[in-house]
Amino acid sequence: MWTVGSRALFRRELLRFLRRPKNTFMPPAITNVLYFAVFGVILGGRIDEIAGFEYILFILPGLIVLGTISNAFENASFSIFHGRWNEYIHETLTSPLSYAEMIAAYVGASAVRGLIVGLIIAAVGRLFVPISVANAAFLVATMVVIAALFAGLGIVGGLLARDFDDLTVMNQFVLRPLVFFGAVFYSLTILPTTWQYVSLLNPMVYMVDGVRYGLLGYSDFLELAPAAYAEIVPLASLAVLATLTALVVALDVYLFKIGFGLSD
Amino acid sequence: MPPAIETADLRKEYGDLRALDGLELTVEEGEFFGLLGPNGAGKTTFINVLVGLVRKTGGEARVFGNDVEADYRRVRDAIGLAPQEFNVDRFFPIREVLIHKAGYHGIPTDEAAERADEALKRVGIYDKREERFDWLSGGMKRRLLLARALVTDPDLLILDEPTAGVDVQLRRDLWELVTELNEEGTTVLLTTHYIEEAERLCDRVAIVNEGRKIAVATPEELKRRGTDTVSVALEPTPATAPALGPYAHGSALSGGRLDVRVDDGSRIAPQLLRDLEADGYEITDLEISRTSLEEVFVELTGRDDRTVTRSTAEERSNEESTAERGQPEGVV
Ligand SMILES: Nc1ncnc2c1ncn2[C@@H]1O[C@H](COP(=O)(O)OP(=O)(O)OP(=O)(O)O)[C@@H](O)[C@H]1O
Ligand SMILES: [Mg+2]
Repeated sequence: MWTVGSRALFRRELLRFLRRPKNTFMPPAITNVLYFAVFGVILGGRIDEIAGFEYILFILPGLIVLGTISNAFENASFSIFHGRWNEYIHETLTSPLSYAEMIAAYVGASAVRGLIVGLIIAAVGRLFVPISVANAAFLVATMVVIAALFAGLGIVGGLLARDFDDLTVMNQFVLRPLVFFGAVFYSLTILPTTWQYVSLLNPMVYMVDGVRYGLLGYSDFLELAPAAYAEIVPLASLAVLATLTALVVALDVYLFKIGFGLSD
Repeated sequence: MPPAIETADLRKEYGDLRALDGLELTVEEGEFFGLLGPNGAGKTTFINVLVGLVRKTGGEARVFGNDVEADYRRVRDAIGLAPQEFNVDRFFPIREVLIHKAGYHGIPTDEAAERADEALKRVGIYDKREERFDWLSGGMKRRLLLARALVTDPDLLILDEPTAGVDVQLRRDLWELVTELNEEGTTVLLTTHYIEEAERLCDRVAIVNEGRKIAVATPEELKRRGTDTVSVALEPTPATAPALGPYAHGSALSGGRLDVRVDDGSRIAPQLLRDLEADGYEITDLEISRTSLEEVFVELTGRDDRTVTRSTAEERSNEESTAERGQPEGVV
């Protein structure tokens, strides 16, 4: 899978965004400085600690997730759509790369962009509040999985889109609401029971909770789940997310294979 | 060795439109093969089926014996395509575009860089290597497409109207380059609307129309299928065109000469002369002018012009003798 060919495509995809940091990394950096300033410093001063954490620290994992997944999605969907729009994706399609190799490269590079943005946000957060990582391995695994998941979804988006507006719509109207109701800014424990259950239908909740667990060692699920299951709850979320990622990536490969949105 | 390209009953439908309608073509390895046809004939569709940009509706297509769908990787590895439309990565300077393309074909970066330089030099735009595609002139863009096709060292080079909108000098450069490549063993498939180009370069040409093959032959053979004109100067000059045998598809007097349209000028001329002499004329001059390939092309693809003459001409040329091929044309 990781052949000379797929590495070449991976490299091309990386260089595309690495060479234009003003377009790719500046915006999330600035946005997050604003988030931390407003939610963390200005509002945070008036908000009690949540689950024993300063508010600014409590929202940090959610902001990292938000930045990571939206950038992974945006990169993949843009790259695929732009390549279709200007037809230079033909350079890839008419090459002897297998469909799996193509997807590995596209998903890999977009996931990397998401992860870099995640790191930038963590670094911005570090300017406001000291951070110590609770479960490094779990954190890394969760971040990689969700970055790949949204890179994979971004490819589907890039194949479905018919014009550039479609891309904006996906980002603004699908991704953002999921994130905002994904327990980024509050703890599930403060919700009425019914809304706690409803929240469980939002896949974003699991991601934010997973990253929060990895970074802070705190998980809403651990609080809410019956004590007997407490041990396995974070791992179970991670396993479900990993499975979902595998399915989405398999879908990407399939769509490339049938030429969905790519060939006439 | 399997043929470079082999298709059977190849079909592609866009709704009701049949872009390819049972196309059957074989291009032998090492051949310089031309694909001629009017706009919308299905040439680009045919090419795109080979490289996987168009999914065929039915039929079979193989490249060097590999099925274009089942063995897509081998097929695509063998092909270098310079497409009709520009489809070049705009994010990178052209040298890098070529390095990436070579990379996708499994060529390691160092070697890919060497090949990119080589290809750019070969098409004469090496000094533009740090430019982006958008900054190139139209002719340079065409050259880049060729360089991109060459950078992977293909066994089958496909050129879809490579000389469209290109100046005379560049056209000649391109001709020279692809001829050279063909001599080095690369099979070439060329589509073009410049009939002269096909005639000059191609070992064989296929004429397609509405997704179907109308004829495949050497340019020479094709020209023989068209009607020739035998022009004779007579003494005395006739007042009206004399009656001739059924071999004459038409005759006209112009400038004191009699022009007779016949299938095959060199074969019919002796008979024509005998008939005219029998009528009491003396022949003072005779010229045979061949149909140009362009005229044949128009005749074969023009819809209202499917005369019986043409089909008999086709039959004849299928069984033609080799003796006939060497016959001189023009002034006898
Ligand atoms: N994506 C498509 N959707 C619908 N019809 C298409 C599509 N692509 C091509 N066609 C139709 O298929 C037919 C063949 O087109 P094609 O591009 O293969 O012709 P061509 O021989 O290359 O013509 P030209 O000399 O103008 O390049 C045309 O009638 C064209 O309109
Ligand atoms: Mg065409």
